[in-house]
Amino acid sequence: MPGILDYTHVTKDYGKPWSRQRVRALDDFSLSLERGEIFGFLGPNGAGKTTAIHLALGFMRPSSGAGQLLGSPFGDAKTRARIGFLAENVALYHRPAAKLLRFYGALNGMRPARLRMRSREVLRQVELEREADRNVAKFSRGMQQRVGLAQALINDPELLILDEPTSALDPLARVAMRELLLEANRAGKTIFLSSHLLSEIELICHRVAILHRGRLIKVGRTEDLLVSRDRYEIVARGAPAEIFAGSRIEGDRLVFTVPASRQRDALQRIWAIGGEVLSVNPVRRTLEDVFLELTGKGDNS
Amino acid sequence: MIPSLLIAVNFLRQHRWPVILLFGYILLTAAATGEFGRGRPVPVDIVFFVEQQAIFICLFSAFLAADAIHGERKSRRILLLLSKAISRAEYLLAIMLAVWTVAMIYAILSAVCSVWLTARSMLPGDGLWPMMFLVMAGALIAASVAMFFSTFLNPYLATACTLAFFCVPAALPAIRHHGAAWWPGYPLLAQFLDFGFRSGWTPNWVAAMAALVESGVFWCLAVAVFNRKDIAVPVE
Repeated sequence: MPGILDYTHVTKDYGKPWSRQRVRALDDFSLSLERGEIFGFLGPNGAGKTTAIHLALGFMRPSSGAGQLLGSPFGDAKTRARIGFLAENVALYHRPAAKLLRFYGALNGMRPARLRMRSREVLRQVELEREADRNVAKFSRGMQQRVGLAQALINDPELLILDEPTSALDPLARVAMRELLLEANRAGKTIFLSSHLLSEIELICHRVAILHRGRLIKVGRTEDLLVSRDRYEIVARGAPAEIFAGSRIEGDRLVFTVPASRQRDALQRIWAIGGEVLSVNPVRRTLEDVFLELTGKGDNS
Repeated sequence: MIPSLLIAVNFLRQHRWPVILLFGYILLTAAATGEFGRGRPVPVDIVFFVEQQAIFICLFSAFLAADAIHGERKSRRILLLLSKAISRAEYLLAIMLAVWTVAMIYAILSAVCSVWLTARSMLPGDGLWPMMFLVMAGALIAASVAMFFSTFLNPYLATACTLAFFCVPAALPAIRHHGAAWWPGYPLLAQFLDFGFRSGWTPNWVAAMAALVESGVFWCLAVAVFNRKDIAVPVE
């Protein structure tokens, strides 16, 4: 069954075919988004994230491969009425916020009555209701970013494609943005979120893909990525700290990690000295650890 | 069609200051030609005014159309615009509509000024309104050719190529003798420069109709090229 956004063996090269400076931005990239999920799209600068998003929106054509957005080939204008897009470093026309939203909404074929209602609604969602009549040229970058998000939401889209939506926001606005995205997701919207802010992705995304040098190096459920099957954390009582290197004492408990291959041996040592094993769990990593590990591997290969 | 109209209106809004400045320029040059209402304008000055405005309107249309895509790409505003349910053909149509609207207002304003000048110097003004329609056709073909070149060249080169393209029959006798009547823009340009208040000047409606059809052809060519363009790649 096709996903809401599908890339099938997409390759994108920049530069003339005969040029020596030809750069491969995406290399045999395949990915499928499922309806209703929040999908995190990660990668270092220049990994090809924005290129992948621009291909889906039809801003450029793949050098090879193909893709589908809501069941239509990339670049289909009518399909774009069902999506919302926020570009990185959003550039807006210098008009009052409410008028600007109505302009973008009308381009998606929305009727004036619904537009008036929706523009009020989304401005309230991004907490700019009081600024509706102010020209966006006079807004701070964070406020412009919120207007950018509002224009992406104006048409009540099925799929939200957000390229670095929190890059210009202060911590409070980031929390508000996170809440807003979760609320949109609860309302049934699929969200494709490209971001450098790994903590944000870790908090809200159901699945994550990591892109490095144009190649997809990891894709999976966020929970699965964060749990390591290579190392285990053991919590014990009644065992001296000296016998396990790197262990720490927490009250009357001893906490330490061991590689999966040495887990059985560690447990037997605790029991041998009369200790008690309280818990054994896979080590939980942060997304940053996973990201650095994977992109670091990419550098070495 | 509605999205194209909306984008056209927005485009006009974005370019309102240069447009208003140029409207002011027409009024100022008309006033100067009419010696600010104090004397009777000389016929040769009025002819020069009409010819100058005709060429100027076409040039301005070419400049405006040539810079449109580049300006939007440079500011990156095109990304949000084309992320909506707008095809690239509709987008180019919007630019054409906007540029032609400016040219129409410009042509009407210069025709009104010319009528005022001819009335002051007791000259027959019959040819001025047909001339205005020819200028509108000239502005349309200038805009469409410039827009076509701007889909793959920077605005300066696109404008230069447009001017060079219109002048090809003037430089190549073979084309001038055999195909000048159908060369896009050239017969209109020749007619603008031939304008006078003598009875021998008659508007070339065939050239105007040909310009309308050729504008459609160049719009199609522009769409074909622009559809293959990576618009997200930053321009300098």
